[in-house]
Amino acid sequence: MNILHQIEVEHMKPKVPDFGIGDRVDVHYLIKEGDKERIQIFSGTVIAIQGRGIRRVAKVRRMVSGEGVERIFPVHSPRIADVKVREKGKVRRAKLYYIRDLEGKATRIKPNMGKPRFPRSTRSKKAAPAAT
Amino acid sequence: MTLGILGKKLGMTQIFKDDGTCVPVTIVQAGPCKVLQIKMAAAVEHPEGHRTSSMNRGKKGGKATRPRSADGYYAVQLGFDDKPARVTNKAQIGHNKKAGVDGGKRFVREFRMDSAPQLKAGDDVTVGILEGVNHVDVAGITKGRGWAGTIKRHNFSCQPASHGNSLNHRTGGGIGRTNSISKGVPKGKSMAGHYGVDRVTVQKLEIVKLDTVRNLVYLRGAVPGHNNGYLLLNKSTKVKR
Repeated sequence: MNILHQIEVEHMKPKVPDFGIGDRVDVHYLIKEGDKERIQIFSGTVIAIQGRGIRRVAKVRRMVSGEGVERIFPVHSPRIADVKVREKGKVRRAKLYYIRDLEGKATRIKPNMGKPRFPRSTRSKKAAPAAT
Repeated sequence: MTLGILGKKLGMTQIFKDDGTCVPVTIVQAGPCKVLQIKMAAAVEHPEGHRTSSMNRGKKGGKATRPRSADGYYAVQLGFDDKPARVTNKAQIGHNKKAGVDGGKRFVREFRMDSAPQLKAGDDVTVGILEGVNHVDVAGITKGRGWAGTIKRHNFSCQPASHGNSLNHRTGGGIGRTNSISKGVPKGKSMAGHYGVDRVTVQKLEIVKLDTVRNLVYLRGAVPGHNNGYLLLNKSTKVKR
Protein backbone atom coordinates (compact mmCIF):
# COMPACT_ATOMS: atom_id res chain seq x y z
CA MET A 1 0.00 0.00 0.00
CA ASN A 2 1.10 3.48 -0.77
CA ILE A 3 2.58 5.00 2.40
CA LEU A 4 0.65 8.22 1.96
CA HIS A 5 -2.59 6.29 1.74
CA GLN A 6 -1.57 4.30 4.79
CA ILE A 7 -0.96 7.48 6.79
CA GLU A 8 -4.35 8.82 5.77
CA VAL A 9 -6.06 5.63 6.86
CA GLU A 10 -4.37 5.87 10.26
CA HIS A 11 -5.72 9.35 10.80
CA MET A 12 -9.18 8.57 9.51
CA LYS A 13 -12.08 7.56 11.72
CA PRO A 14 -12.24 3.78 11.77
CA LYS A 15 -15.90 3.89 10.91
CA VAL A 16 -17.85 6.74 9.40
CA PRO A 17 -21.63 6.77 9.37
CA ASP A 18 -23.04 5.42 6.17
CA PHE A 19 -24.90 8.14 4.38
CA GLY A 20 -25.25 9.16 0.78
CA ILE A 21 -26.38 11.87 -1.55
CA GLY A 22 -30.02 12.86 -1.16
CA ASP A 23 -30.27 11.55 2.38
CA ARG A 24 -31.90 13.65 5.04
CA VAL A 25 -29.40 13.67 7.86
CA ASP A 26 -28.81 15.08 11.32
CA VAL A 27 -25.18 16.09 11.69
CA HIS A 28 -24.14 16.12 15.32
CA TYR A 29 -21.18 18.42 15.67
CA LEU A 30 -19.33 19.78 18.67
CA ILE A 31 -19.30 23.48 19.29
CA LYS A 32 -17.44 25.36 21.95
CA GLU A 33 -19.38 27.59 24.30
CA GLY A 34 -16.98 29.27 26.66
CA ASP A 35 -15.15 26.38 28.26
CA LYS A 36 -17.86 23.85 27.64
CA GLU A 37 -18.47 21.81 24.58
CA ARG A 38 -21.86 20.74 23.48
CA ILE A 39 -23.37 19.02 20.54
CA GLN A 40 -25.38 20.95 18.02
CA ILE A 41 -27.46 19.33 15.37
CA PHE A 42 -27.65 20.50 11.80
CA SER A 43 -30.34 18.69 9.91
CA GLY A 44 -30.62 18.94 6.17
CA THR A 45 -30.15 17.19 2.88
CA VAL A 46 -26.80 15.91 1.64
CA ILE A 47 -26.41 17.56 -1.74
CA ALA A 48 -22.80 16.66 -2.51
CA ILE A 49 -19.95 14.49 -1.29
CA GLN A 50 -16.50 15.48 -2.41
CA GLY A 51 -12.98 14.26 -1.85
CA ARG A 52 -11.47 10.90 -1.05
CA GLY A 53 -10.05 9.43 2.10
CA ILE A 54 -9.47 11.84 4.93
CA ARG A 55 -10.32 14.79 2.70
CA ARG A 56 -13.92 13.63 2.25
CA VAL A 57 -16.44 16.40 2.86
CA ALA A 58 -20.24 16.44 2.72
CA LYS A 59 -22.32 19.45 1.75
CA VAL A 60 -25.54 19.62 3.71
CA ARG A 61 -28.34 22.03 2.80
CA ARG A 62 -31.32 23.08 4.81
CA MET A 63 -33.83 25.89 4.79
CA VAL A 64 -33.75 28.32 7.69
CA SER A 65 -36.71 30.70 7.71
CA GLY A 66 -36.97 30.79 3.96
CA GLU A 67 -33.25 31.13 3.39
CA GLY A 68 -31.10 28.27 2.11
CA VAL A 69 -28.15 27.41 4.33
CA GLU A 70 -25.38 25.09 3.25
CA ARG A 71 -22.64 23.78 5.48
CA ILE A 72 -19.64 21.74 4.51
CA PHE A 73 -18.66 19.06 7.00
CA PRO A 74 -15.35 17.21 6.86
CA VAL A 75 -16.52 13.68 7.48
CA HIS A 76 -13.38 12.65 9.37
CA SER A 77 -13.17 15.69 11.58
CA PRO A 78 -13.16 14.85 15.29
CA ARG A 79 -15.72 17.61 15.75
CA ILE A 80 -18.31 15.64 13.83
CA ALA A 81 -19.70 13.44 16.56
CA ASP A 82 -22.26 11.58 14.54
CA VAL A 83 -24.33 11.64 11.39
CA LYS A 84 -27.79 10.14 11.75
CA VAL A 85 -29.71 9.30 8.62
CA ARG A 86 -33.34 10.31 8.97
CA GLU A 87 -34.41 9.17 5.56
CA LYS A 88 -32.58 7.80 2.59
CA GLY A 89 -33.14 9.65 -0.62
CA LYS A 90 -33.64 8.32 -4.10
CA VAL A 91 -31.66 10.47 -6.46
CA ARG A 92 -30.34 10.11 -9.97
CA ARG A 93 -27.29 12.32 -9.83
CA ALA A 94 -24.23 12.79 -7.65
CA LYS A 95 -24.55 16.52 -7.07
CA LEU A 96 -27.96 17.95 -6.20
CA TYR A 97 -27.13 21.57 -6.90
CA TYR A 98 -30.34 21.92 -8.88
CA ILE A 99 -32.35 22.08 -5.67
CA ARG A 100 -30.83 25.47 -4.96
CA ASP A 101 -33.06 26.88 -7.67
CA LEU A 102 -36.18 25.17 -6.37
CA GLU A 103 -38.51 26.17 -3.61
CA GLY A 104 -41.02 24.54 -1.31
CA LYS A 105 -42.46 21.23 -2.32
CA ALA A 106 -40.25 20.96 -5.37
CA THR A 107 -37.17 20.48 -3.21
CA ARG A 108 -38.48 17.24 -1.78
CA ILE A 109 -36.50 14.15 -2.60
CA LYS A 110 -38.19 10.82 -3.02
CA PRO A 111 -37.36 8.42 -0.24
CA ASN A 112 -35.35 5.40 -1.16
CA MET A 113 -37.19 2.22 -0.28
CA GLY A 114 -34.55 -0.36 0.19
CA LYS A 115 -32.98 -0.46 -3.25
CA PRO A 116 -29.25 0.18 -3.35
CA ARG A 117 -28.65 3.84 -3.90
CA PHE A 118 -26.17 3.53 -6.70
CA PRO A 119 -26.21 0.12 -8.31
CA ARG A 120 -22.66 -1.08 -8.57
CA SER A 121 -21.30 -1.52 -12.05
CA THR A 122 -22.08 -4.79 -13.74
CA ARG A 123 -18.46 -5.82 -13.55
CA SER A 124 -18.32 -5.78 -9.77
CA LYS A 125 -21.62 -7.63 -9.65
CA LYS A 126 -20.14 -10.48 -11.60
CA ALA A 127 -17.09 -10.44 -9.37
CA ALA A 128 -19.19 -10.98 -6.28
CA PRO A 129 -22.08 -13.29 -7.15
CA ALA A 130 -22.42 -14.37 -3.53
CA ALA A 131 -24.06 -11.07 -2.68
CA THR A 132 -27.13 -11.69 -4.83
CA MET B 1 25.32 25.55 12.02
CA THR B 2 23.98 22.26 13.19
CA LEU B 3 23.44 18.87 11.75
CA GLY B 4 20.29 18.45 9.72
CA ILE B 5 18.94 15.47 7.90
CA LEU B 6 18.22 14.43 4.33
CA GLY B 7 14.77 13.44 3.25
CA LYS B 8 12.32 12.74 0.52
CA LYS B 9 8.98 14.40 -0.10
CA LEU B 10 6.30 11.73 -0.09
CA GLY B 11 3.32 13.98 -0.72
CA MET B 12 0.69 16.14 0.87
CA THR B 13 -2.47 15.35 2.75
CA GLN B 14 -4.36 16.74 5.70
CA ILE B 15 -4.73 15.65 9.28
CA PHE B 16 -7.01 16.78 12.07
CA LYS B 17 -5.72 17.95 15.41
CA ASP B 18 -7.55 16.90 18.54
CA ASP B 19 -9.38 20.21 18.70
CA GLY B 20 -10.69 19.64 15.20
CA THR B 21 -8.50 22.06 13.28
CA CYS B 22 -7.50 20.71 9.93
CA VAL B 23 -3.79 20.96 9.18
CA PRO B 24 -2.38 20.71 5.66
CA VAL B 25 0.72 18.56 5.95
CA THR B 26 3.56 17.45 3.76
CA ILE B 27 4.85 14.04 4.69
CA VAL B 28 8.61 13.77 4.43
CA GLN B 29 10.63 10.64 4.85
CA ALA B 30 13.66 11.90 6.77
CA GLY B 31 16.46 9.40 6.97
CA PRO B 32 17.72 6.97 7.98
CA CYS B 33 20.93 8.55 6.75
CA LYS B 34 24.47 7.19 6.98
CA VAL B 35 27.42 9.37 7.84
CA LEU B 36 29.74 8.83 4.89
CA GLN B 37 32.54 11.17 5.83
CA ILE B 38 33.59 13.62 8.49
CA LYS B 39 35.50 16.73 7.53
CA MET B 40 37.82 18.36 10.02
CA ALA B 41 39.46 21.75 9.99
CA ALA B 42 42.85 20.33 10.97
CA ALA B 43 44.32 16.99 9.97
CA VAL B 44 45.20 16.18 13.58
CA GLU B 45 41.57 16.13 14.55
CA HIS B 46 40.81 13.21 12.30
CA PRO B 47 40.46 9.94 14.13
CA GLU B 48 43.18 7.33 13.72
CA GLY B 49 43.16 5.62 10.38
CA HIS B 50 42.01 8.66 8.53
CA ARG B 51 45.31 10.41 8.74
CA THR B 52 46.73 9.06 5.54
CA SER B 53 45.42 9.20 2.06
CA SER B 54 46.76 7.06 -0.73
CA MET B 55 47.37 8.41 -4.16
CA ASN B 56 47.82 6.44 -7.33
CA ARG B 57 50.24 8.19 -9.68
CA GLY B 58 49.93 5.67 -12.46
CA LYS B 59 52.38 3.06 -13.68
CA LYS B 60 55.59 5.03 -13.22
CA GLY B 61 54.68 7.07 -10.20
CA GLY B 62 53.41 4.16 -8.22
CA LYS B 63 51.24 4.37 -5.16
CA ALA B 64 52.14 6.90 -2.55
CA THR B 65 50.84 7.33 0.92
CA ARG B 66 51.03 10.73 2.43
CA PRO B 67 49.62 12.49 5.43
CA ARG B 68 46.07 13.50 4.91
CA SER B 69 45.65 17.18 4.43
CA ALA B 70 43.15 19.11 6.46
CA ASP B 71 39.71 19.69 5.02
CA GLY B 72 39.79 23.24 6.31
CA TYR B 73 36.29 23.17 7.73
CA TYR B 74 34.03 21.02 9.86
CA ALA B 75 31.29 19.10 8.14
CA VAL B 76 29.33 15.90 8.19
CA GLN B 77 28.59 14.20 4.91
CA LEU B 78 25.33 12.29 4.90
CA GLY B 79 24.05 9.75 2.40
CA PHE B 80 20.38 8.94 1.98
CA ASP B 81 18.42 6.38 -0.01
CA ASP B 82 20.23 3.22 -1.05
CA LYS B 83 21.40 2.72 -4.58
CA PRO B 84 22.49 -0.68 -5.86
CA ALA B 85 26.20 -1.13 -6.51
CA ARG B 86 25.65 -1.91 -10.20
CA VAL B 87 24.54 1.66 -10.89
CA THR B 88 27.13 3.26 -8.62
CA ASN B 89 30.52 4.26 -9.95
CA LYS B 90 33.64 2.80 -8.41
CA ALA B 91 34.81 6.03 -6.87
CA GLN B 92 31.62 6.29 -4.89
CA ILE B 93 31.63 2.62 -3.94
CA GLY B 94 35.16 3.06 -2.58
CA HIS B 95 34.18 6.21 -0.73
CA ASN B 96 31.13 4.58 0.83
CA LYS B 97 33.06 1.47 1.79
CA LYS B 98 35.02 3.53 4.31
CA ALA B 99 31.74 4.14 6.08
CA GLY B 100 30.81 0.49 5.86
CA VAL B 101 28.16 1.03 3.21
CA ASP B 102 27.76 -1.45 0.41
CA GLY B 103 26.71 0.15 -2.83
CA GLY B 104 25.79 3.77 -3.19
CA LYS B 105 23.53 6.45 -1.88
CA ARG B 106 21.25 8.41 -4.15
CA PHE B 107 21.42 11.67 -2.25
CA VAL B 108 24.66 12.81 -0.64
CA ARG B 109 25.03 16.19 0.99
CA GLU B 110 27.26 17.89 3.52
CA PHE B 111 26.24 19.80 6.60
CA ARG B 112 28.72 22.45 7.75
CA MET B 113 29.39 22.47 11.47
CA ASP B 114 30.72 25.10 13.85
CA SER B 115 32.90 22.70 15.82
CA ALA B 116 34.36 19.25 15.43
CA PRO B 117 31.45 16.82 14.97
CA GLN B 118 31.14 13.98 17.45
CA LEU B 119 29.89 11.56 14.81
CA LYS B 120 32.09 9.23 12.84
CA ALA B 121 31.76 7.67 9.44
CA GLY B 122 29.30 4.80 9.46
CA ASP B 123 27.03 6.29 12.11
CA ASP B 124 23.31 6.44 11.50
CA VAL B 125 21.37 9.68 11.58
CA THR B 126 17.67 9.16 12.07
CA VAL B 127 14.70 11.44 12.38
CA GLY B 128 15.29 11.36 16.14
CA ILE B 129 17.62 14.35 15.78
CA LEU B 130 14.54 16.47 15.11
CA GLU B 131 13.06 15.52 18.47
CA GLY B 132 12.32 18.65 20.43
CA VAL B 133 12.66 20.81 17.33
CA ASN B 134 9.57 22.81 16.51
CA HIS B 135 10.49 24.38 13.21
CA VAL B 136 12.69 23.41 10.30
CA ASP B 137 14.00 25.01 7.14
CA VAL B 138 13.53 22.81 4.12
CA ALA B 139 15.56 23.12 0.95
CA GLY B 140 14.68 21.37 -2.27
CA ILE B 141 14.62 21.70 -6.03
CA THR B 142 11.44 23.30 -7.33
CA LYS B 143 9.31 21.85 -10.07
CA GLY B 144 10.40 22.87 -13.55
CA ARG B 145 8.08 25.25 -15.38
CA GLY B 146 10.06 25.49 -18.58
CA TRP B 147 10.10 28.82 -20.37
CA ALA B 148 7.69 30.97 -18.38
CA GLY B 149 6.35 34.46 -18.91
CA THR B 150 6.72 37.36 -16.52
CA ILE B 151 3.35 36.79 -14.87
CA LYS B 152 4.18 33.30 -13.71
CA ARG B 153 7.88 33.91 -13.18
CA HIS B 154 7.98 37.33 -11.51
CA ASN B 155 4.42 37.81 -10.31
CA PHE B 156 3.75 40.60 -12.79
CA SER B 157 0.17 41.74 -13.18
CA CYS B 158 -1.93 41.02 -16.20
CA GLN B 159 -2.86 43.84 -18.50
CA PRO B 160 -6.55 44.65 -18.92
CA ALA B 161 -8.63 42.10 -20.75
CA SER B 162 -10.63 44.79 -22.50
CA HIS B 163 -10.77 48.62 -22.68
CA GLY B 164 -9.16 48.58 -26.07
CA ASN B 165 -6.28 46.28 -25.17
CA SER B 166 -5.09 44.52 -28.25
CA LEU B 167 -3.04 41.35 -28.00
CA ASN B 168 -1.13 42.60 -24.95
CA HIS B 169 -2.72 40.74 -22.08
CA ARG B 170 0.20 38.82 -20.66
CA THR B 171 3.14 40.68 -22.12
CA GLY B 172 5.79 42.15 -19.88
CA GLY B 173 5.27 45.78 -20.90
CA GLY B 174 7.93 48.44 -21.01
CA ILE B 175 11.49 47.57 -20.00
CA GLY B 176 12.96 51.02 -19.44
CA ARG B 177 13.98 54.24 -21.12
CA THR B 178 15.84 54.53 -24.39
CA ASN B 179 18.78 56.26 -26.00
CA SER B 180 20.84 58.76 -24.04
CA ILE B 181 19.46 58.10 -20.57
CA SER B 182 19.86 54.37 -20.52
CA LYS B 183 22.50 52.05 -21.74
CA GLY B 184 20.21 49.41 -23.09
CA VAL B 185 18.12 47.12 -20.91
CA PRO B 186 18.67 47.70 -17.20
CA LYS B 187 20.70 44.98 -15.52
CA GLY B 188 18.60 42.45 -13.65
CA LYS B 189 15.41 43.45 -15.44
CA SER B 190 12.89 40.69 -14.85
CA MET B 191 11.74 39.15 -18.05
CA ALA B 192 10.42 35.88 -19.37
CA GLY B 193 12.79 32.94 -19.24
CA HIS B 194 13.43 29.58 -17.73
CA TYR B 195 11.66 29.12 -14.42
CA GLY B 196 11.84 26.36 -11.86
CA VAL B 197 14.43 23.66 -11.12
CA ASP B 198 16.01 26.07 -8.64
CA ARG B 199 17.15 25.32 -5.15
CA VAL B 200 14.67 26.98 -2.85
CA THR B 201 14.60 27.03 0.94
CA VAL B 202 11.32 27.36 2.80
CA GLN B 203 11.97 28.72 6.25
CA LYS B 204 10.30 27.90 9.51
CA LEU B 205 7.97 25.07 8.69
CA GLU B 206 6.23 23.75 11.75
CA ILE B 207 6.76 20.11 12.67
CA VAL B 208 3.29 18.79 13.32
CA LYS B 209 4.25 15.23 14.12
CA LEU B 210 7.27 12.95 14.19
CA ASP B 211 7.11 9.26 13.43
CA THR B 212 10.36 7.78 14.66
CA VAL B 213 9.37 4.24 13.74
CA ARG B 214 8.98 4.93 10.04
CA ASN B 215 11.26 7.98 9.97
CA LEU B 216 8.53 10.35 8.91
CA VAL B 217 8.12 14.06 9.56
CA TYR B 218 4.80 15.81 9.16
CA LEU B 219 5.41 19.42 8.17
CA ARG B 220 2.76 22.08 8.09
CA GLY B 221 2.53 23.53 4.62
CA ALA B 222 4.25 22.86 1.33
CA VAL B 223 7.86 22.11 0.48
CA PRO B 224 9.63 22.69 -2.84
CA GLY B 225 9.66 20.12 -5.57
CA HIS B 226 7.69 17.16 -6.80
CA ASN B 227 6.78 14.07 -4.84
CA ASN B 228 9.76 11.76 -4.27
CA GLY B 229 12.05 14.78 -4.64
CA TYR B 230 14.98 15.04 -2.26
CA LEU B 231 15.10 17.60 0.52
CA LEU B 232 17.47 18.99 3.11
CA LEU B 233 15.99 19.56 6.54
CA ASN B 234 17.71 21.92 8.94
CA LYS B 235 16.74 23.27 12.27
CA SER B 236 15.17 26.63 11.58
CA THR B 237 17.50 29.60 11.74
CA LYS B 238 14.65 31.99 12.43
CA VAL B 239 13.70 30.55 15.80
CA LYS B 240 14.99 32.54 18.74
CA ARG B 241 17.23 30.48 20.96
